[in-house]
Amino acid sequence: MVSGPTPASPEAREALRDAMVRLADGDSAALEQIYSATRVKLYGICFRILGDTKEAEDALQDVYVNLWQRADRYDPTRASPISWLATFARNRAIDRLRTGKVRGGAVPVEEAAPLPDAAPLADQMMIDGERAAHVHTCLESLEEPAQANIRSAFFDGMTYAELAENADVPLGTMKSWIRRGMMKLRTCLEAGE
Amino acid sequence: MTDKTEINRDDAMIAIEYGFGLLEGEELLTARGRVASDPAFAAEVALWEERCAPLLDDVAPMEPRADLWPQIAASIEAQKAAQSAANDDAASNVIDLQSRLRRWQWTAGLTSAAAAVALAFAAFGPGATQAPNEIPQTQLASADPLVAQVPIGDTGLRLDVTYIPETEKMLVGAIGLTADGVHDHELWLVPADGSDLQSLGVVTPGEVLSMELPETIARNLGDGVGLVLTREPIGGKPEGVDAGPVVAEGAFSQV
Repeated sequence: MVSGPTPASPEAREALRDAMVRLADGDSAALEQIYSATRVKLYGICFRILGDTKEAEDALQDVYVNLWQRADRYDPTRASPISWLATFARNRAIDRLRTGKVRGGAVPVEEAAPLPDAAPLADQMMIDGERAAHVHTCLESLEEPAQANIRSAFFDGMTYAELAENADVPLGTMKSWIRRGMMKLRTCLEAGE
Repeated sequence: MTDKTEINRDDAMIAIEYGFGLLEGEELLTARGRVASDPAFAAEVALWEERCAPLLDDVAPMEPRADLWPQIAASIEAQKAAQSAANDDAASNVIDLQSRLRRWQWTAGLTSAAAAVALAFAAFGPGATQAPNEIPQTQLASADPLVAQVPIGDTGLRLDVTYIPETEKMLVGAIGLTADGVHDHELWLVPADGSDLQSLGVVTPGEVLSMELPETIARNLGDGVGLVLTREPIGGKPEGVDAGPVVAEGAFSQV
């Protein structure tokens, strides 16, 4: 192994947390440091949700510009910075997905872009450095069809209505599957806390 | 909804659904509103986001194109410049409006109906001789400003739109919003009678704009009338093409 902090190391996390605090204090230069440490992960998330290079780039830009505007929203005493940023990126991407679809899909359907090369895993900042978080095993323990649909909701930003349409089941059925699954997920997570 | 196949759900379940992004339409808007106004609900959403965030490690990381950072940096520089410029001339732009706005905020802040009526009476000027309780309701209503807030996603940012019937002026405040350099946002009135949307123009981030409304638009204004904000190319919706995606919505209500 090479020496120096790895992206998942406590040092890398601390450096990121520090940059987030400096950004909130008005130091714009801290944003470039945050960008270089997190862009690969956050871009991956935006692309996964939006499925389109142009949209994902717009979303990523939106994420960092927004971060610069409202860096004070991050509370360094609560969440880990990469966890917070990843969630922030996912939420922004989902917002973009939803608003684009308001009123019957005003966004033109673009041709599917070729999938860009994935960056090497080692380059990404890990939220769960040890992969010890209970949520992985809890999600894997769910039965189908709940598990696959919950994954689609989380990773692809699908709504109840879209999931129901894809699975060709009534909306109420999909809601029941997912809610039962979510209740199990909750029980499992709470048991592990 | 009284779908019998739906199982009962408590707030925690709604928080999960919101956090996962499963909700749409009215349910989404309601949940969004609760995140802003209900700390317990917001904490529940945050708890789920934190619990599930480690799953995001499973998403394949991807390198964005190299010139994205210069673009972000340039956009931020442009916003900084716009902000300091706005600070310089905002004073002259809005000075005329501020005294009026202050009065309405004051009006809105009054909770006593009697006080509100008395103030409305005063607004008609010293020449008014009717007793406050004799002022016809319609006259009061038509003279009162209309306000609308158009929240932008869950960013906490919003457009503030105010229409002042007595001067036929509309103020559009986009303070805190910033230009991304690639899009403009156009504001549209949604007439209650279902006729075509009417453009209220492109929003200027970071400024309060005052505009006079033509009668063709002004007559469609009223309590409950909707507004939508669309994302357009720079300069606004080009002639002959469909409007861009709706990014925010709101409705007027009477002060």
